[in-house]
Amino acid sequence: MEKLIKLQIDGREVQVPEGMNIIDAAELAEIHIPNLCYLKGMKGIGACRLCLVEIEGMKAPVIACNTKAKDGMVVNTKTDKVQEIRKFVVDLILSMHPLDCMTCTKAGVCNLQKYAYDFELKESSFTRKRMGYPTDEANPFIKRDPEYCILCGRCVRVCKEQGTNVLAFMGRGVGAKVITANDKPLQESECTFCGSCLDACPVNALLEADRWRKGREWEYERINSVCLLCGNGCDIIVSTKDGSVQKISAGAPKGSAERYICAYGRFGFDSIEAETRLTSPMKRVNSELKETTWEDALSIVADKLKKAGKGAGFISIAGIENEDAITLKKLAKDVVKTKNFDTTMSLYAESDSLKNSQTADINKADLIVLVGLNPSQWERILPALDASVRRRVDRGAKLVVINSSDTKIGEAATINIIGNETSILKRIAKALIGKGLKADKKLEASVKDVELSEEIEKAATFIAEAKEPVLLSSPSLFDASANIALMKGKIITVGLESNAHGVALMGLTTEGKTYKEMVSDGMKVLYAVGEVPLNKRPDTDFLIVQNSHLTELAKQADVVLPSATFLESAGTIIDYMGRLKYLPKVIEPQGESKSHRDIFIHLAKIMGATIKRPAEAEVKKASKVETKLIFSPFTKKEGLDISPNEIIESVNASVINGSRLLWLKEAEKAVAV
Amino acid sequence: MSEESLIEEKEKKLEDIRKEAEEKACLVQRALYYVEEFLAGPMCGRCYPCSLGTYEARIRLIRISQHLENVNESDIKALKRIGSKMMEGSFCKKGKDTGKFIIETLTSSEEEINQHLSGICPKKECINLIEYVINPELCIMCGKCLETCKYDAIIGEKREPYLSGYLPFEIRQKRCTRCGECIKVCPAEAIEVITTKIEELVSSK
Repeated sequence: MEKLIKLQIDGREVQVPEGMNIIDAAELAEIHIPNLCYLKGMKGIGACRLCLVEIEGMKAPVIACNTKAKDGMVVNTKTDKVQEIRKFVVDLILSMHPLDCMTCTKAGVCNLQKYAYDFELKESSFTRKRMGYPTDEANPFIKRDPEYCILCGRCVRVCKEQGTNVLAFMGRGVGAKVITANDKPLQESECTFCGSCLDACPVNALLEADRWRKGREWEYERINSVCLLCGNGCDIIVSTKDGSVQKISAGAPKGSAERYICAYGRFGFDSIEAETRLTSPMKRVNSELKETTWEDALSIVADKLKKAGKGAGFISIAGIENEDAITLKKLAKDVVKTKNFDTTMSLYAESDSLKNSQTADINKADLIVLVGLNPSQWERILPALDASVRRRVDRGAKLVVINSSDTKIGEAATINIIGNETSILKRIAKALIGKGLKADKKLEASVKDVELSEEIEKAATFIAEAKEPVLLSSPSLFDASANIALMKGKIITVGLESNAHGVALMGLTTEGKTYKEMVSDGMKVLYAVGEVPLNKRPDTDFLIVQNSHLTELAKQADVVLPSATFLESAGTIIDYMGRLKYLPKVIEPQGESKSHRDIFIHLAKIMGATIKRPAEAEVKKASKVETKLIFSPFTKKEGLDISPNEIIESVNASVINGSRLLWLKEAEKAVAV
Repeated sequence: MSEESLIEEKEKKLEDIRKEAEEKACLVQRALYYVEEFLAGPMCGRCYPCSLGTYEARIRLIRISQHLENVNESDIKALKRIGSKMMEGSFCKKGKDTGKFIIETLTSSEEEINQHLSGICPKKECINLIEYVINPELCIMCGKCLETCKYDAIIGEKREPYLSGYLPFEIRQKRCTRCGECIKVCPAEAIEVITTKIEELVSSK
């Protein structure tokens, strides 16, 4: 529990945790202190001087962003002196800012506009300054307009903290400009187009490239949801107008290390209305796919499934919502009466490793250990994890990276240990026992004859001295890493797909053939749910593909059923940290597409059975599993070697090909050469 | 910042800038020199009151010293506001000292500054407000000023001692840049600096 202290701000008494700065403390008291260069979660730099406040007993005003609240402080945020300084600063900024509120896209949410209103500044009383810098709109994601830039430095600091470090200042004072290396356009720098700078910019200097004429900010409805494109499951805020998605921004609370959404999640929503989007069921007639009705298509499917019975197989991606997973299991097991239902999760994880994964808050971790993971923002493999870890390290946490080869995240590590992961974990366990941590007898016995080295001792010291260590491990190394967590810390498996944990907890793991077996052995009837990573039709008599877009596999199917994307279907997932996250229905499904569970329920009805829609209680019950860690030998699970890149790219192929992300793939290919 | 000098010029310290500024007699020139040197060197450019403020102060001081169109008291008021807010709001001592210097200079003689608004520089240093004139009674037509002037601003014929009928030299005001080189070489101290606005009778010395 953090110690609470009391202080007075503008006459209001408020209790805040010790060590909080005055701006955050005032926020708790619902008082807003003007600021332009402050970023929650990062140390205040005092550049804009707008947050000056007067504290009783101190002669000169102090900046609220970098002064810690102390017990008994009396703070005055609106004295004449500081208001005059604020007015002066805003006046100066307005003198070098195009006064464009009429058509500016930031109108309504612009901090500068708000402060100019508060201080009644219609125009600047200083000489007008115009630098005439050109805009950078050569890429379809981010538009940079230096004319509007107020030099607050938020974009530079955000980009630096998360490790991409693409932006910097050129020059000083009024003529300063935010540039990339050698002032090149964004696509010629190492920018990953994650758009963290878009969320940070308080004015119109950094904006989405397609933002013009898409409506005003106050016309948007902002809905909290979750991105299901990869194993991070980032929180997002979806802005909609007239029933279609206008933009997506990062949704985690300000100041959280997890406030991130990569280019795929942020700009992939164009694919919802792409040409390849399926809007009606289709069946194969004379070797061509023809559109048909739901009743027709589902009766054909029901007939085939009834005849196949145990010979039917269901394969699905692990990026489906919990409710869809529960309904699919009921359909397969109880209605079709087959034991063959599996997800792509089995390609990279055993379901026990996901079920026994614990929960932790990365924002509170003072030591992070990555085992066998290689998250990378540049290759878009768990990019939010990469960004969060780098941010935590920047904010004072320690990082230990254990991997069999060199990784980019290892550059940010306090200790980077390259070698055989299981052997390294064994030696760390021994070192921890040597430091006095209690261990299971079997564990002690298994590490008796291993040698220690300086690196290992150092890593073990970090673990032993950390207050809240968190171990993040790839699923194949979960058992070995859990042995460390038995002594200290929390262990979390990081699956490659957004709901890998949920799917495992809902029980959608095969009782018959696995995914790989169903694809290679040949089933009588194969029912593929979601964008499974298959390009060629596997050996089967009848193939049904249920997906949102027309993929290569769907073109070879016998029946194609259009499903809703994750923004069109309400549900829940369990993310890699074990948190239950809600996805509301943001927009109506395109055409005749339906959510996965609605299709399963309809199909079951035609087959003569009723499946009830899963209630929240059912999901909650299934997700509450007692995670009990037990000792297991230090081995790496075999057969889970699918390349993360391969699976993430193929599962999201329609999103990439159906949106402006295709430009990105081509630009990256060009730069790589 | 010349490309020829490969040795990095050391940033000037504020005290040095202050000393150099105080060599100027005119208060407006003094403040302008300080502000320009500050912008070129010690200003870090991070906090708004100081970096945006000095940039604006420089613009205002140039307007006053060159007597640009529509210069009036609002320029002086703006300068005082910039100076005082820089003193209170800047991040570091450098900004606060610069603000202090601006205020001190402006308040040490309000009269002198206000005269600039009417186009007169009492200390005769602001280039747009002064003229160089050759006193015809003192000029000995030696030709030294003509040789020195880089801008061909002086007209006249060098006097041969054994001949007569020579006229005193004159300065062409359109070409004169008030660089001051001619004054340095005139042996008769015949070149004078006058303020353009008030026409002082040159001959009555």
